[in-house]
Order: sequence, then C-alpha cells, then structure tokens
Amino acid sequence: MYRQGDVLLVRVAAIAVPASVTALPQQSRDARGRLVLASGEGSAPVHAVAGPGRLLCGVGGRAEEPGQAWLELTAPALLEHERHAPIELPAGWYRVVRRRGYLPAPLGGSAEF
Amino acid sequence: MTTEQTEQDVWVGIGTRVGVTDRAAAEAGVRAAYRQAGLPEPRALVWCASPLVGTAAALLLTTGAEGLTGPEARWAVPEARRLLAAQDVRADRPAGAVSVKEAVRVRPWRQARERLVARLGREAWSERWTVASGQSWPRLDALAGQIRVAVADGLAGRGAASEGARPAVGLALFDAVPGQQDAVRLAGLADDPGLAGPVAMARSSGWWWPYAEVAVLADLPVVLDRDATGRLHGVDGPALAYGDGFALHAWRGTAVPRSLFERLGALTVEDVRAAPNAEQRRVLLEHFGPGRYLAASEEAQLVHQDGTGVLWRLELPDDEPLVVVEVTDPVPEPDGTRRVRWLRVPPSTRSAREGVAWTFGMPAEAYRPKYET
Repeated sequence: MYRQGDVLLVRVAAIAVPASVTALPQQSRDARGRLVLASGEGSAPVHAVAGPGRLLCGVGGRAEEPGQAWLELTAPALLEHERHAPIELPAGWYRVVRRRGYLPAPLGGSAEF
Repeated sequence: MTTEQTEQDVWVGIGTRVGVTDRAAAEAGVRAAYRQAGLPEPRALVWCASPLVGTAAALLLTTGAEGLTGPEARWAVPEARRLLAAQDVRADRPAGAVSVKEAVRVRPWRQARERLVARLGREAWSERWTVASGQSWPRLDALAGQIRVAVADGLAGRGAASEGARPAVGLALFDAVPGQQDAVRLAGLADDPGLAGPVAMARSSGWWWPYAEVAVLADLPVVLDRDATGRLHGVDGPALAYGDGFALHAWRGTAVPRSLFERLGALTVEDVRAAPNAEQRRVLLEHFGPGRYLAASEEAQLVHQDGTGVLWRLELPDDEPLVVVEVTDPVPEPDGTRRVRWLRVPPSTRSAREGVAWTFGMPAEAYRPKYET
C-alpha cells in the first residue's frame, strides 16, 4: 500500500484481480508519455507514473471513481508528483484509490411561511 | 454526443425557463381557463414582474396590505397599487376579491385525473405520473416553496414583528397558481382539453392569481440558476431574479440572505457561529472551511490521536457534529514547514486512523501504507 498525497495505491496479487477489470477501457498517456492517476484542477500538478504498463478505468473513464481504476506495471516504475517525493513501485497490479470527502446527510424539515 | 430529451426534461425546461414572457399566450390561457370553468372572463388582467409584487397585488385585492413590515414591502406594495390602478382596478381599501382557483385550476386537474383513471385505470395513471413528472416534481415543488418563503420574508419579514402579517401573506400565496412551476404537476395530464388554460399558463408565464373579475399575472424570472442536481444555486449573484429586482440568493438549494451572500468570501468565525439555522451554517461552513472553523473553536474536543493524525469533534446545534482529522503532510514545504490539512469524516468515526482510512474507502485495520509522501 503506497500513499502519495490524496492517492492511495493498493497492491493486488494478479490472481485476485477481478476478470472484469481487464475489460475496462485503457487510458491513454499524457503528452509526456505518463499514465495520469489523478489530476488536479486546471494546470495543477498530477500524480503520474512513467513506465511500462497500463491504466484501466471504469465508469466515466476517470481514475477518480472509487474502486474503478486499476494500474498494471510490467516493470518497476516511479510514482511522481511535483509537490511530493517520488515513490518506487514494484511491478504488478494496483488498485488506485483517490481520497474522498465527507458530506453531511441532508437535513430534514420543510420550508415554512 | 447527442442526448435524447425525455418528456420530463421538456417539462423541467418549462418549469425553469427564464426570459421574456409570452404575455399574449398567457392572457389567452387565462381567458380559456375561466371559460372552461364556466366563469365570465376576467375584466382586468394585471401584469407584475415578480411573484413578490403579484402577492402584494393579491393582498390589496383581498384583505389589504396594511401592517406589512417586511424589507420589500415598502416598494412592492406601492408598485402593486400602481399596476392595479393602471388597469382601473380599485385597491384603496380591502376589496374582498374572491379567489376562483378551485374552479379554474384545482377542480379541472382533479377531473382530468379522474377521466384518465376511468379510461386507463389507476396503474396507468401512476405510470403516467412517473414518466411525466416522477423525479422532477419534488425539485420544482421545492423551488416554488422557496419562492413562497422569500415572498413571505420580503413582505412580512421574520420574527415577532411579522406575526400578524405572515398569515395574511400566506393566504395570498395560497391563492396563487405557480405558473411555470405548475408545469410538472400538469405534465401527466397536459393532453386533457379541460386543462388547456392552466397548461397554456404554465408554458408561457410565471405565477398567477385567479380572482373573480380580476386576474393577477407575474412574468417569468430573468435569472434562474441551479446546480447539477437541480437545486437553486447562484455562484456570483442571485440564483433567482425577476425584472423588478426581486431576487433570491441561494447556495446548493439553501437560501442565504443577500447581505451574507456578499460576504461569503470574507466570513469570520462569528458569522458561522451566528448562523440562524443548520442549513445556513452548512453553507457558511462550506465557504469558511470546516477545519478552519474547528481550529478556531475553543469548544472543539480532541477525541483521539495516532500516527495518522488527530481526530477532533465539535458539536453543532441542530446538526450532526463536525468530526475532522487533522493530518500533517509527511513532506515539508520549501520553507521547512509542514502543511496541515483537515479531512471531514463521518460523525461515527472513533480514531484518527479510522477517519483517514475512511477517506480512502477502507476500514481502519486495512489501512497500512508502506510508504507515504
């Protein structure tokens, strides 16, 4: 399990990766040839991996969807971000989880006049 | 990408339309509604630019507009009086006008529904309602409710001073048919010829007040902004505004007084603390930052502390508590300091690790990062 800021990578044994994952759409690389795991707004720095492998994302094709993004590295690679120290990732499968925020439950009651 | 517009989308579009009112179509709709009800057509049609002034006109026509102390009453009542006078409608004393809403809108709707049920059965009606209005009517109904509250606040004010006036304003609002926001209620029965008048009104106009001899009509709004879920939501200004200046500020569906809305970017701890209710406090907290508020509150309790961070809890009146994990970036900034962040987590959270793990969608015992940067 590796955490870089708001992104958590959970290592998963190849045999435990659900068969449905390999059918998910494969994400293309950015202009610098990297796999972008999570992007900030506008020109904000991104969490990205430069190395051989593939990134598979589910609904909406966004790595942000919880439990829906999977990374397969066929060789060790660096997870990079401008503001965080790089993390060396061994080859293998990872579930990509992006941090979520808590929103309080809707309030009851009704309008009155 | 092409998106197919559903029947419901069409009616929601009508219910949230802004811009120029098709007054000719609306007037034809009113006259048709009276004729269909077996009533003489109204002698005068009085147009107002907003439901606020429309309600003031309805008050002048019925019980009178004396004793209104709300912040908008001092301009809305004279404006309503001027518009009534321009149509030769006397309103210098309580005029006792009689509402014909039951005859022109309520009864025809009930009869149209009975006809549909008789023809196709109860199940078909239920299905028809679901297809035409099912998911959208609560939002548009809530929107009409917010407009009612804003009108009552504007004309009668809030608190003890409004006690006498508020019920009178409530009655004048009860006489109103919410025009475009009536669309989703009419949608499932829009093909029934008996509802042609109200349907034409919903398609072309804002709110309207049918009285014997006189009908008061209000134009469409000029601004009506909603968030992705359909709630009133204005980022840079009012979420709802009418041509005469009547406006409603709202953030994600919660109405916020204009004076406060204009200070959302420069709030103080005191502003948040002084919020009159939980709804407004949530809006203020979202802008101020829950963590920042907690850090500034002496009442905040330290619940738990471990290697992942510090768990804090602050009770909030009439709302769920604010529970936040304070975490510190493992990597220092260029100046050597470490950035502190506040992560809001569910109120049931009992340890800092459980809170941090929740933000990644996992239980505390499963959250064991090998490296963190």
